[in-house]
This record gives sequence, structure tokens and C-alpha cells, in this order.
Amino acid sequence: MGVLLRMLKDRAEAEDALQEVFTRVWLRAGRFDPDKGRGMTWLIAVARNLALDLLRIRTDEQAEPDAAEAIVDQTPTAERRMIALGEAGRVSACFEQLEPSKADAVRGAYLSGLSYIDLAARHDVPLNTMRTWLRRSLISLKECLDQ
Amino acid sequence: MTGTPTPLPATPSDEDDLLAAEFVIGVQDMETRARLEDRQKRDPGFAGSVSDWEYRLDGLNDEFASAPAPDLLAGIEARLFPVATKPRRGWFGIAGASVLAASLLLAVFFTYPPAPPQAPVLATLAAADLAYEVRSDGETLQVIRIAGAPAAAGQVHELWVIAPDAAPVSLGLLAGGPLEIAYPTPPAGWLLAVSVEPTGGSPTGAPTGPVILTAEIGA
Repeated sequence: MGVLLRMLKDRAEAEDALQEVFTRVWLRAGRFDPDKGRGMTWLIAVARNLALDLLRIRTDEQAEPDAAEAIVDQTPTAERRMIALGEAGRVSACFEQLEPSKADAVRGAYLSGLSYIDLAARHDVPLNTMRTWLRRSLISLKECLDQ
Repeated sequence: MTGTPTPLPATPSDEDDLLAAEFVIGVQDMETRARLEDRQKRDPGFAGSVSDWEYRLDGLNDEFASAPAPDLLAGIEARLFPVATKPRRGWFGIAGASVLAASLLLAVFFTYPPAPPQAPVLATLAAADLAYEVRSDGETLQVIRIAGAPAAAGQVHELWVIAPDAAPVSLGLLAGGPLEIAYPTPPAGWLLAVSVEPTGGSPTGAPTGPVILTAEIGA
């Protein structure tokens, strides 16, 4: 529910989405592979995917990305609150190797559901520049996290 | 951004992995997302890349604050079992709300949902030299080839569902063995169709090859 609230920023919509998440979980339970990872990771992935679809459909309908709202919602201290232990610590350490603005872009996408269009507007760079930044950041993150 | 050449030099597999990463962090537009969601269903290599990225970035999930959810069971049940008056398998008919809730959790975390051995036949798509049978238990469609041969080398049969006045939606590829799709029973009047597509399925998301079989639900 926290995932949906943070990404959709609308309680009624989040509640509706949560029903859909559990419906999808029920229908797709056969695809969950317990050998591959934790149930919670899978559940959050289902929730994030649905929220992202809803956000993109919403943006397409409005034709106007709500970048202002996204800026207000940013919580730059969140990463520091993460305990430097276990997986969260490893992700945190790898994000620290990125330039702060680029780390912020990746986190903004993952946690708040910002699109390339939102991110380009927020960082005031052309879309292709943002895409290059983000792809480079993802490659660095992969190298760091897979070590 | 669809069709924009990537500014980074990348081999096809690097490019796929980056597409998977972009899909997981969720920056793409809806058109790209829909295309990749579809690809995830029929390209195990790509689905694996997506799942690798989900676990790679799992540490970020700790940043989502947990929030109490209201009691949504009634709504969830209504979505899963839309036709409550229709007689169901005894298993569900007897199950009360709490039993269902418990089974939901059990099913997700400990076991797979019960699959009936033989669901009723929903439709048969048949021509002179080829036939597929589609069975439905309300949650899953099972598609089995009952006559003829799979598509020739370099081609594959793709199954589509078509709602009245709507564009065809791909349900999956009919390669060698039976196909199971998590999909509710399509209502009467909807069409099922099989087209011939290049290996890997229609590149556009809509049928591109000849439609060789069709059947109307409830006809």
C-alpha cells in the first residue's frame, strides 16, 4: 500500500490499485519462482508495475507531466536514512558512487515513477541527454551491484 | 523516445539488458512499456533480465514507507470471481471469505493455485488440417493442439482475443506444447483467432500474418 500511495499520490486510486495488485497476484501465483527470490520483492514488483502503467496512462491523458508535484514529493534525505547493512546498504553504497543528480534521477524514477519526460524537465536537460545519463548510471549500478 | 537510437554503443544483449533496466525503473512511455510487458511474456531471456534488475534494485524497496491498507477483500473477491451466481467448482462455492483470504496467502507464498485437471472446453478453432482446443476454468485458458502440426520453421502460431469493436490482443504463442494463459473466460461474442507470425511473435503487437483460424465464444 505504501508503494502505491507514494507513486500514485491519491488514496482512492491507490486503494483501487491495491485490489488489482492482489487480483493479479492470485492469477499469476504460478509464475512466482520461490527459488529466485523473496515473495516481497515479487509483490512490490507487481505493485510498482501496475502503478507505473497507471501513471503513464494518466500522463498520456493529461499530456502534461506533473513535474511540479514530483519535486515537492522528493525526499533527498531518504538515502541517508538507509542503514548501511545488507542489500539496502549495498544499493546505497552503489548509488553514492554516482553523481548526486544522476543518483537522484534513478531514484526518482524507481520510487516516484518519474518518466524520461518528467526527469528531463526536472533536470532541465534534453530527453536524449537524460536517457544517456540514466543508461550510464544503470550500467555503473549493475557493475557495482553484481560485484 | 521510441525509435530513438541509443546514444551508447551497445551489443544487442546489452541493449536488451538496458531496456529491461529502464522497464524496471519505469521511465519509458506507455507504448514502450506495453511492448516490453508483452515481450516479457514470451521471451524468457528478456523476462530473466527484468527479474534480475528487480532483485538488483530490491534494496530501494526499503524506502517505501509501509501504509496500512483498508479491508478490500470484498472488492478483490468481486474482481476475481465476477459472476457469483454462476455455479462454481465446489471448492470455491463452499469457501467463505476468511478461508479464501487464507488460501490467497497460502497460494501466493507456499504453493501454486489448484489447477483442475480438465477444465470445460470454451472453443475449438479448427480448419481442415489444423485444430486447437481452448479450455477455460475461469482463471486460466489452456490451449492444446488437437490436430495438425505446429507452424513451419521460422514461423509460429499466435493466439489473439478480440473483443467486439476492439483491436486484437495477443494471448501468446502456440509453439510446440500446450499453452496456459492467466486470463479470465472471455464472454460470448468475443473472438479467438490464430495467425501465422515470424518466430518470436508479431513484431508490431497486432497480427501481421494470415489469420488461419477463428472461433466465436459461445457460437
